[in-house]
Amino acid sequence: MEHLRRPRPAAHPLGRGRSLTTPVAVGPLVRLLTERLGARARDLWTDEDAVEIQVDGQDNVEVLRTVRDDPDLEFFFLTDAGAVDYGIDAHFEVVYHLFSWKHPAWLRVRARVQRDDPRIPTVTDLWEGAMFHEREMYDMMGIVFEGNRDLRRIYMSPDYRSFPQRRDFVLPDDAADSAAAGVNPLERPETWDLGRLRHAAGATFAPAEFRADAPAEGPHDGAQDGETAADKSRPR
Amino acid sequence: MTATERASGVPDPIDLDRAEEARLRTAAGLNAPSQQRHGEYAGFEDIGLPDRPPQTEREAEVYSLDEGEMLLNMGPQHPSTHGVMRLVVKLRGEVIVDIDPVLGYLHRGIEKLCENATYTTVLTYVDPMDYLSAMHNEYAPAIAFEKLYGIETPRRAEYIRALVVELERVSSHGLMMGFLALDMGGLTPILYAFINRDEVVDLLSAISGQRMLYNFFRVGGVNFDVNDEFLSRLGTWRSQVLKNIEMNEHLITDNEIFRGRTIGMGVLSGRDAIALGVTGPNLRASGVAFDVRKAHPYSIYRDLEFDVITQESGDVYARYLQRIAEIKQSIHLIDQIIDRMPHGPVQAQVPGIVRPRPGRAYAAVESPRGLYSVYAISDGGPTPYRFRMRDPSFISLQALPKLMPGHLVADTMAVMASFDPVMGGVDK
Repeated sequence: MEHLRRPRPAAHPLGRGRSLTTPVAVGPLVRLLTERLGARARDLWTDEDAVEIQVDGQDNVEVLRTVRDDPDLEFFFLTDAGAVDYGIDAHFEVVYHLFSWKHPAWLRVRARVQRDDPRIPTVTDLWEGAMFHEREMYDMMGIVFEGNRDLRRIYMSPDYRSFPQRRDFVLPDDAADSAAAGVNPLERPETWDLGRLRHAAGATFAPAEFRADAPAEGPHDGAQDGETAADKSRPR
Repeated sequence: MTATERASGVPDPIDLDRAEEARLRTAAGLNAPSQQRHGEYAGFEDIGLPDRPPQTEREAEVYSLDEGEMLLNMGPQHPSTHGVMRLVVKLRGEVIVDIDPVLGYLHRGIEKLCENATYTTVLTYVDPMDYLSAMHNEYAPAIAFEKLYGIETPRRAEYIRALVVELERVSSHGLMMGFLALDMGGLTPILYAFINRDEVVDLLSAISGQRMLYNFFRVGGVNFDVNDEFLSRLGTWRSQVLKNIEMNEHLITDNEIFRGRTIGMGVLSGRDAIALGVTGPNLRASGVAFDVRKAHPYSIYRDLEFDVITQESGDVYARYLQRIAEIKQSIHLIDQIIDRMPHGPVQAQVPGIVRPRPGRAYAAVESPRGLYSVYAISDGGPTPYRFRMRDPSFISLQALPKLMPGHLVADTMAVMASFDPVMGGVDK
C-alpha cells in the first residue's frame, strides 16, 4: 500500500508536474519564439514538454514558415494538424504540432478561425502531407482552407451535407426522435429538431455557399458580367 | 418490358431493384438515379466516373480521361487493400498514370464517440483503430490523460507497458513481412508470420485476457500484473522467435522474384517523406533517423539502449529490411525490459470518474506504423472536450499518388503493402 500514500508530485514551475515525461528546458525556445515572431505570437504558454503559441488564422502560413525555415528553430516536421470547435458562440481553432531536432519540446501553434466565416489559408505549400489533415478538418468541421487544390470530403460521402464533429452536431439519440427518423436521419439537417439545442438560434450546419438551397453566385437579375446596380438603371 | 419479362412473364429483378432505388432516393430527398440505359453489361461503361461535376482541381485532374486512358477501381472489397479501401487507378495500358485513394468505408467516428465517453472509457474506444497494434493505440491516450490528471504512473507499470508494446511491434512487423509476400503472390510466408503472431497474441491474451482488443492500459497504470502463465510463455516464445523470424526471412529476402519486384520499386526520398508526413519504419527506410522513442523519449525509453536503424534506398525492399531490423531491435529491448523490471504496484490510485483541471495535453508514441499522437483537451468535465488522434497509416497513404505513376498495376499492391497501412486506423 506504499503507493497509495505517495504524495502527489509537486507542480513543476513550467506546468503541472508529472514524472512520465521528463520536463524539458523550454527557456531558449520561448526566448527565440518571442524574438522571431514578435507580436504575431500571442499567449505563449508552456507545458512540461510542449510550447504553445496562439496566432491569427490569417497569419498561420507566415508563422509556420518562419518556425520551419529559421535556422535556430527548424521545426521541419508537421506531426499533427487538427481542428477544435470551441462552441457555437465562440470560434474554431486549427492546431498544428511541430517537431524540431534543435529543441526538446513540441511546438503547438493554435490558429484561430472565425466561426461565421471559417476560412484559413492552406499550409499544403509548406508540407504536402497537410493535405489529408486539411481534408479531414474540412470534412469533420467545415473549415475551408483557401488555396488547397483538393478540398474534398475524405471520410463522408461527397453528397453529405453537415459537419459531424462540430459541437452542435446532433447525435443519433437525438435524431432518432426527430421527424426524419428512419430516413437517413443524420443526413437531413433540415428536419432536425433544433429546439432542444441550447443555442439553437445560432446553430449553423454549413457555410452558406455549401448549402443546397443557397442562391447561386453572381448577378442573376438580368445584369451582364461586371455590371453594377447603377449600370443597370442606365438606359441601354 | 425487358426481354426476360417478355419470355417468361416474370419481371426482371434488375428493373425492380431500379424502381425501388428510385423510390427510396425520392423518399430521402436525393436526386433521382441517372436514367442512362444500361446495356448487357450494366454499369460497366461508367465504372469509377462520379455522376456529378468534379469538386476540386485535383478531382477534375484524376477523373478526366485522355485518349487511351481508363479508370480502374481497386476495391473496396479487395484482398490486397488491407481492409476496406478503394483505389481509383487511372491507367494507360497497364501503366499507372494517376491514383486516387478513396477512404471512409470503415469510418466509425471514434473521435466523436470519445468526446462522449469518460476518460477511462476512451481507452476502450481506441482499441479497434489500428487493430494490429491495439496496445500502441491505448498508450498515447494513457500518457495524454496522465498529463491532464497530473498523476504519476508506478515504475513497474511503465515497464509492463513497454514490454507489451514491443511484443506487439514484433507481431505487427512480422505480419507485414508475410503480407508483403502474400500481395506479390507468395502464400507461404504469411502462414509462418501467423505462427509467430499467434504466439504473441497468446502471450498478450495471458496478461490481458483478450486476443486482439486488449483494453489493457489504464490511466495511471495497467490492468493486470504479469502472471506465471505469461512469464512461462514469454520464455518459450523468446527461445523460438528469432528462429521463426529468420526462417521467414530466409524464405523471402534472397528470393530472386521478390528482389526483382521490390528493389528500386516505389522509391521515396527522405525529403519527400518528411514533406508528406510519412513516419515510422517507412520514414527510416528513406534514411531519416526519426524515431519518437529517441526524439521525444516517453515512458522508460530514455533508460533503454537501442539505436535508430535506417536504410538508404527508400524502396519497397528497404522498407521490408527495415521491419526485420526493427523486429530484432524490439527483441533486444524486450530482453532489457525483462532484466530491469522493478517490483511494485502496477496501478496508481485513480478514481473511476475524474474531472481533470481544464488544460491541454499532447502525447505521441512510436507505433509499428509510425508516429501515433493524441491531442486531448479537458474543460473540467468528466469527458474530454476534444480528443484528436493522428494515425500514421492515414497520413502515409498520401505517398501513393506520389509514388505510383509509371509503375504497373501489379506493383500497386507491393508498394501499398510496403507501407503496411491498417484501414481501421486510416478511417478512424
